[in-house]
Amino acid sequence: MDTSQLLKGVLDLAVLAVLRKDDGYGYDVVRRLRAGGLNGVGDASVYGTLRRLYNAGMLTSYVVPSEEGPHRKYYSINETGRARLAESRETWRSFASTLDGLLEEVAA
Amino acid sequence: MNTQALGVEHYLAGMRAALDDLPPNEVAEIMEDTEAHVAELSTELGEDETLEQRLGTPEQYAQELRQAAGYPSRTERLPVTTKKQMLTRPRAAAWGLVAATGITVLAGAAALREPAVLLLPAVILVLSLALVNDRGPVQQEIMNLPETIRLKQWLTPEAGTPAERAITYLKSLQPAWWLVRAGLLGLGAVLLAGRDLLGFLAIAAVAVVSVFAGPRAKVDRRWLWFSLPASALAVGLLFQVIDVTAGQLGYNASRSSYSGPVMQTYENIYVYDENNKLLTNVTLYDQDGQPINAPRSYSSCGRGDGTDPDPVIPANRYPRPVIDYQNGTCYTVAPTVTAPSSASSSSPSTTGTPPSSSGSATPSSVPPTSVSPSK
Repeated sequence: MDTSQLLKGVLDLAVLAVLRKDDGYGYDVVRRLRAGGLNGVGDASVYGTLRRLYNAGMLTSYVVPSEEGPHRKYYSINETGRARLAESRETWRSFASTLDGLLEEVAA
Repeated sequence: MNTQALGVEHYLAGMRAALDDLPPNEVAEIMEDTEAHVAELSTELGEDETLEQRLGTPEQYAQELRQAAGYPSRTERLPVTTKKQMLTRPRAAAWGLVAATGITVLAGAAALREPAVLLLPAVILVLSLALVNDRGPVQQEIMNLPETIRLKQWLTPEAGTPAERAITYLKSLQPAWWLVRAGLLGLGAVLLAGRDLLGFLAIAAVAVVSVFAGPRAKVDRRWLWFSLPASALAVGLLFQVIDVTAGQLGYNASRSSYSGPVMQTYENIYVYDENNKLLTNVTLYDQDGQPINAPRSYSSCGRGDGTDPDPVIPANRYPRPVIDYQNGTCYTVAPTVTAPSSASSSSPSTTGTPPSSSGSATPSSVPPTSVSPSK
């Protein structure tokens, strides 16, 4: 099964979860998602997701100067984002357990 | 390396083109992320690897980003929501900052004489920052102004060029400048201390805060409303200190070389004839017939009651009598001949010496020789 299709629905959740731990700039978020096991995540998808979450008011941003190259725009999660993360996590867990249940029945 | 830099520029240009239907503000935000991303990625690329191999074509990258961000795809044009207003709040705020910074250089050059002039840029700064303070630390709208983008392009020349190296070098001096700036501001404050307490306190406070403002402005651009004018004020103060110092040097130099007409009044004049004999009752006039060295009549002690034979002596008559007060009583004493010894040596005829200082040497012809005690 193509995980990229699955990923689309939960990338918000994954990005918020990564930023919950620590602020990060775009490529940093990409790396942390891949390090967390989401190998198939596309750079552009992550950047797009960051923009969407930012425009939805769940993230704030600030600029950090870089020794070499352009400045980095860091994103950090705010209260709205944290609330959305908690809510989405519940949704995901109940969805996952429902699906697990269905798959158990099939396996049985 | 250079081809990679070119590759980055080419890639970013492709991205911009693929996003150009989106609101300019949003495009600028995306590009700010993407520029950093592509620049960082390009340093990780292997020998023969290209950005396209890692990220897909710019158009693919843009399309994937649009989907994830929830933007409409390229074919559907967004309704034009971008305001074509000329005077927006970010623009007013940005130009307010520029104007206040410029004025501060001028005001700073006058701040030591009249610190109150700094109130003008201060008011402009507060007003312009108030316009955009709620827009957050990134101030993206200001960064997206066409004038800002042009400035940014101008300040980031192509890598490897001398201009780029110069700017990189100047950037590396920034922390040093923050310290120099604080020092200059502190100097300005010290120069004001004792003359203007409010001015001293204000500039001293700016000096202290400026140390933190530099690094803070790197993270929160709103600090630029403090940091830039602080630099301008330091530069203005520097100009003034240089001006004052140069003025003093110039003044001293001119004083040492310039010798104007000497307006000196003598207390007394002794005139000797060729035989080295002291002449008395000599009345001196200049070429215009004006009495020499005689701003006023020279009044003796007498009050014209008959006891004094010559109560008013023309002041240009030499040697002057000496008026002496003793025990509250005024005496008009005949001029004591106290001609300096140099007068004798410089006199053309040295057959004799002028009378040495002795109060008794009083030619009989001097009218005011009478010792006339009076009140």
